[in-house]
Amino acid sequence: MRPGSGGSYLGVYLAAAVLLAALVHLVVVLTVPLVASDDAFQRLAARGNVNATVLLSRADPNQETFPYGDPAVAMSFCRFDLASGPIRVRAPAGRSFASISFHTRRGLAFYSLTDKASTHGVIDAVIGTPEQVQALAEGDNEEDPSRDLRVTAPARKGYVLLRAFSELPSLYPRAEAEAERLACTPEPMPK
Amino acid sequence: MIAFLKILLTMAAGICLGLFITAYAMSGASPFDSVRVGPWIVSAHAGSMEADPYTRAIIERSGEIPLANGEGIQMIAWTDDAGRRLDSRCVYSVGPHVPAARYWTLSLIDKRGFPVGNLAERYGFRSSEILRSGGGRFVITVAAEVQPGNWLPIGAPGPFGLALRLYDSPLGATAGEIERSAAPRITRTGCG
Repeated sequence: MRPGSGGSYLGVYLAAAVLLAALVHLVVVLTVPLVASDDAFQRLAARGNVNATVLLSRADPNQETFPYGDPAVAMSFCRFDLASGPIRVRAPAGRSFASISFHTRRGLAFYSLTDKASTHGVIDAVIGTPEQVQALAEGDNEEDPSRDLRVTAPARKGYVLLRAFSELPSLYPRAEAEAERLACTPEPMPK
Repeated sequence: MIAFLKILLTMAAGICLGLFITAYAMSGASPFDSVRVGPWIVSAHAGSMEADPYTRAIIERSGEIPLANGEGIQMIAWTDDAGRRLDSRCVYSVGPHVPAARYWTLSLIDKRGFPVGNLAERYGFRSSEILRSGGGRFVITVAAEVQPGNWLPIGAPGPFGLALRLYDSPLGATAGEIERSAAPRITRTGCG
């Protein structure tokens, strides 16, 4: 690049193009999560109301909904909105591997539990905003505090996903039946 | 006028290049979060709040629901052990071990992560249904034509991927935790 030498400013133009390319790249990568209109949450929202348990169809070549799904695992979900209070999540531990994961509206998982953390065959947790979890703790009876597992959610909206593993192809319907027993219910706040 | 055209051309080139780089960066696993174990790629933080901006963008765009850390680990391979792209015209044997996990599955996927249809309606194998030889060793044969033993059919011509999912694994997905020797080998045994 020899500015002023009467030659071209090719170097300057190239540098400007590369800088602009870098800027465009950064902006797109950072804005995709904010503008993506077809992410998992949107696809789930189209399938069920808040707190309703919805069984997802099995990963299948003809049902292209959620990529990277495992055909051996039955999945169900419920969406949550903590605006009106904390939510209790319960699911059967199932006969083989089962797990619950808690995701923000942006798809990030903030907590997960497997059937190993179940008591009496039930996986049970309460999710709430930091304020709700604190209020629940303050409402505890000091002699006999609640044994609930309380999970603080980093976002008000999100979804809970249950995965139920089928050990054999013939056991898949049973895994589906287990997945359907996921329950998300509003949890009363202490008076 | 010519200067104006040059500036316009520069901007157009910059924007196109930026979009091209972005599309490339988002076409696979996040370049900043990929742990490689032989041919297998693990997105180490896809299932956590620590996911980097690339991982977030890739997940949001695809609609994938990643396995949370603690639930399991997903490993994806698009090449064999020698680094050659998986090809529907070839036969591969996958085995003989997998990293420690309560259950695992090995499935065949297309480039967008969906199962590939085949006449046998066999999209993957579970650890609990597989035929094994001595010492818990196993071989899964990935081929378009019928094979004896654990046959995972390649249902469509073209490139494909293999997805290994480890459920309830004591291992973490971060670098170095999964040993190369523990991951299954993908060996090309022949091409038709």
